[in-house]
Amino acid sequence: MVTSPPPDSPTAAARWLRAARALWRVLAARTARLAASVHQTWRRSLQLRVVTITLVASSLLVGGFAYLIADKITSILVENAQTDVRLRLQNGSDYAGKQFRAFSQPQEAQFQDTVEGTVNYLAGGDPTQTNGVVVAITADRVPAGTIEPRTSPNVPVRPLISSELRASVAAGNVAHQIRTGALGGKRTKYLVYGSPVPTRFGQVELYYVVPLDRQDATARDARATVVATGMALVLLLGLLAALVTRLVVTPVRVAARTAQRLSAGLLDQRMVVNGEDDLALLAASFNQMATNLQRQILRLEEMSRLQRRFTSDVSHELRTPLTTVRMAADLIFAERDGFDPAVARSAELLQAELDRFEELLTDLLEISRFDAGFAMLDAEPTDLVPVVHRVTERLAGLAERVGVTIELDLPDSPVIAEVDPRRVERVLRNLVGNAVEHGEAKPVLITLGVDQNAVAITVRDHGVGLKPGEEKLVFNRFWRADPSRARQTGGTGLGLSISLEDARLHGGWLEAWGAPGQGAQFRLTLPARAGDRLTTSPLRLVPADAALPFGGPRDGGPLAIGPGSGAGALAIGPAEGGDRVEVTS
Amino acid sequence: MRHRLLTALLAGVLLPAGLAGCGIPHETQVQVDGAGPAGQSGALSGSSDQPPAPTASNDPKEFIRNYLSAAAGERDQAVNRVKQFIAPEGQSRLRDRQSSEIELFVVRLPEEPEATPPNNEGTSEVRVKVQQLGVLRADGSLAPPVASDTEYKFKLRRVGDSGWRITDPPKVLLLSDEALYDYYAPHTIYFWNSDQSRLVPDQRYLPQALPAERKVTEVIRWLAAGPPDWLSPGVIRLPDNTSLINNATGSDGRWEVNLNMPGAKDAQLAHLATQLAWSLPEQVTGQLDLKIQNQSRLVVDIGQEKSGRPPYPLDGNPERFCVYDGAIHPLSFPGEPRGTVPVDAASNRSIVTAALTRSGGRILAALVVTRSGRQQLLVGAGPSPVTVFKGGREFTSVSRPTWLRSTDPQHPYGLTAVDGVLYRFDEVGNLTRVPLGVDGKVTAVAASVEGHRVALVVNGALYVAAVSTDGGAPSLGQPRRLFTKLTNITAVDWYAESRLVFAGSEPRGGTRDPRPAIYGSSVDGALEKPLEQDIGAQVTRLSAYPGPSGALPAYSYMYEANNGAYTPSGIIKPEQVLNLASPTPGNKAPNPTAPFFLY
Repeated sequence: MVTSPPPDSPTAAARWLRAARALWRVLAARTARLAASVHQTWRRSLQLRVVTITLVASSLLVGGFAYLIADKITSILVENAQTDVRLRLQNGSDYAGKQFRAFSQPQEAQFQDTVEGTVNYLAGGDPTQTNGVVVAITADRVPAGTIEPRTSPNVPVRPLISSELRASVAAGNVAHQIRTGALGGKRTKYLVYGSPVPTRFGQVELYYVVPLDRQDATARDARATVVATGMALVLLLGLLAALVTRLVVTPVRVAARTAQRLSAGLLDQRMVVNGEDDLALLAASFNQMATNLQRQILRLEEMSRLQRRFTSDVSHELRTPLTTVRMAADLIFAERDGFDPAVARSAELLQAELDRFEELLTDLLEISRFDAGFAMLDAEPTDLVPVVHRVTERLAGLAERVGVTIELDLPDSPVIAEVDPRRVERVLRNLVGNAVEHGEAKPVLITLGVDQNAVAITVRDHGVGLKPGEEKLVFNRFWRADPSRARQTGGTGLGLSISLEDARLHGGWLEAWGAPGQGAQFRLTLPARAGDRLTTSPLRLVPADAALPFGGPRDGGPLAIGPGSGAGALAIGPAEGGDRVEVTS
Repeated sequence: MRHRLLTALLAGVLLPAGLAGCGIPHETQVQVDGAGPAGQSGALSGSSDQPPAPTASNDPKEFIRNYLSAAAGERDQAVNRVKQFIAPEGQSRLRDRQSSEIELFVVRLPEEPEATPPNNEGTSEVRVKVQQLGVLRADGSLAPPVASDTEYKFKLRRVGDSGWRITDPPKVLLLSDEALYDYYAPHTIYFWNSDQSRLVPDQRYLPQALPAERKVTEVIRWLAAGPPDWLSPGVIRLPDNTSLINNATGSDGRWEVNLNMPGAKDAQLAHLATQLAWSLPEQVTGQLDLKIQNQSRLVVDIGQEKSGRPPYPLDGNPERFCVYDGAIHPLSFPGEPRGTVPVDAASNRSIVTAALTRSGGRILAALVVTRSGRQQLLVGAGPSPVTVFKGGREFTSVSRPTWLRSTDPQHPYGLTAVDGVLYRFDEVGNLTRVPLGVDGKVTAVAASVEGHRVALVVNGALYVAAVSTDGGAPSLGQPRRLFTKLTNITAVDWYAESRLVFAGSEPRGGTRDPRPAIYGSSVDGALEKPLEQDIGAQVTRLSAYPGPSGALPAYSYMYEANNGAYTPSGIIKPEQVLNLASPTPGNKAPNPTAPFFLY
């Protein structure tokens, strides 16, 4: 992993530094990857989480209990040893006191013999038979040299008796201490107990040095047992948690998979019901829900199909008599000059309404074709500029009639896109027609934009505009902004619906923007190549001259952009005075 | 999966890590349990008398006397004390020895030391004539002497104003008998005889400086070490390998004796308890806890033990008798009981001397009678008065017999010296010669109060020997000679448990002739003191009562000299003789002779 140092590296230190950095980077990257992978596994696996939490919690609990138990065992062992030795020491001290009582001078030679005899007696006589207990008599309070310290068995026990203990015992206390040392070659823990022994000429000190190796071994054994038991318990608990979680998680996973398949449309997917437990109930309920959903969906599909069939059939069935009526009406209309003016007027009305009826039927048929999924895209590379021109020319009469001027903002070069020109033209005709119709004698602007992936056409009018929320409703079938308003033009109420379907058929977008009093703008965005996915549009949906919904900032005033109320929403508004911050460039 | 493994590993590491902290710590702080036992105070019961220091006297003779007492007392320091008397150049002659090896040569100074006056070089020479008495051993016994020096010469050098130093000391530690008397107390310990019916006294010496507790320890060690050589035939030792574990301890009237005694049986312990009760110093009272290997086996009250089990049976009614006009008569002393003659009147005639003893309700009587100028021993036993007497051959002279109380009461034996030879006799008068370990003419024999020791006069010298009754008939062990100031000893008897009274010639300084005298001494001959001196005639017979004071004063003795009977306070007058037939008028009243005690 260490990269070879570049040849022009000035010093070895720098090379190493670089290598270390590289290594660190590699390591850090690996760690990060590992952490990410762990984090992902952690987030995804309920079983892992449960097992981990169980292991950690039970480890803490069992560890705590094990510590308590082992500590208790150890302290009991040590306390027992201390009590034992304390009693022995007390007896030994009494015995030694009696033995020494007959001496009034430490210089008496028999006293030294008595010290030796006492030590041997207290140590149990035979030095080879003792169980490692060492008895020592020292004389720290008597002038040095008069009494030789004696030890039985004769081992150098002095290092085990700390100076603090000696000071404490010499001061007349019974005291003890645990020390570690090597008397018999092996390092062992010793309990050193000391007591003063009063004599007629002062005081000597009696020490018992008792090895704690047996207690230590017992404590170690107990600890090992507790640890082994605890670990086994923890592992068992982990295993148990894994098993239980697996028991729960597996059906849940099956349910999730089944639900995914259901949502993917495989309505006949069912879960396997095993037994009668809660999971079986879940599976049964799930299956029942799936069955109900399936039945409902099938029923709705059937109804929808029937409806569409009905619409289509009705439209078809109406078409034939309508053709006949139409022919008759055309005849009458052609002959209207010879009629009474009132009848002539009726003939004109009849003609107009028949046109609308025909249009309606055509739209209905178109809609039902979309609904039935029979609509086919006949895409071919098309230059959209002529299409726009054609539409404006065709609607020029109407525009002129209502006093609307249609302005075009088209690129100079051809705008080629892989579209169905018939449908695009129908969409544009619809949009421009609507704009002219609702333009209130104000100009309508048609803009054509293009980028690498998409083409877009916006149609801007300055009519009454749309109320908030209406920009979605406008695409509903037979929707009207004002239901009471009389239909003046021959709109069928299906135009925008069909346009939306046309845009969707291209894989494009058809969106609306509007504000009361500011008019509206519709934007059609289509992919430049058929089948591509759209990500952006070359043109803005909201026109540049639109006022901001809150009235907009003062001219030259700052705009505040901050976190909005909803998740991920931005709140935009005029900045309050004071702490203004300008971001340039 | 890796994550799970990691967690398990983590748990596996955490658990032991947490537990590792709760083992026995390697080292702790000093923890104080409380105050220890408080110190003791109070004086010890031992005497604080110390032998005089070298500076105590400026007189060379006195200096030497002090030197001869320097070794007395605490044995461990004896060499050091003696070295203070010795000039540095001579100190190397005395080597330091272990306490058990230190032996003190006890000497008697029959004469005053002679000293040359100090010369101008500041030196002097002191000549000391000595009589070797024995060796004071570590076990307190006075063993027979091993040195034969009769004179020591000491060269003294003056050291400053403080006194003298010896420049050429003997290699041994010397101790004068005066120092033995001053700084030691005779102490009697007891050993069981072979059938464990009697306790045999054995005299030892305890330094007076020793406190009571140490005395107890010493005494028990002595008992464990066994009897001295001369006494061993008559007594038994403690079981083999019996030894005292550490010191005997006593507090609040309870004495603990911890012994090592392999295979100790309860009967043995009961005997040991009695032995100890009698052997321990008198100031030791209260409970005696006998422990064998730390196990308490027997607890006895020392006082009860002593009162309930006397060391040997002793009738407490001693009576004085004498031979008056060939017959045994009781003597009358104010305040003392008067006995009746336990001998049939028919047999009570022609008697020279007699030995009567009470034994289990019977009277044992041994009479020395004259038969046509020769002497015959008549022996009889039975309830008082004894009527049947049997005798054997006739001899030129038969010494005063003595009954051995240690023999079987149904088959009693006595000893007597017949024509210079020691014989034993039984109750039917059979005389059997007793082999003796020394050659010479045996002229007197006396048995001790318990009957296991006898005092003998062989060739005018005093001996003691142990009596063994194993096998029924008594036999004597190797006699031990006692070195006395008296020579030509003529009579001996026991006037206390371990004290002898004997009569002989007292050598006197200068040209004066030796004069008869009566001395008392300890059984080892060391503690000797004159009882009567300047007696006009040789003491021919001597009798004493060895029992405790009671009916008779302690140390009562009577003797015969110049055909007259005497007590320490004077001659026994014929008026004191009881049960006399009507005095024959005209005849000069004879003197009472051969006084003796019946007990």
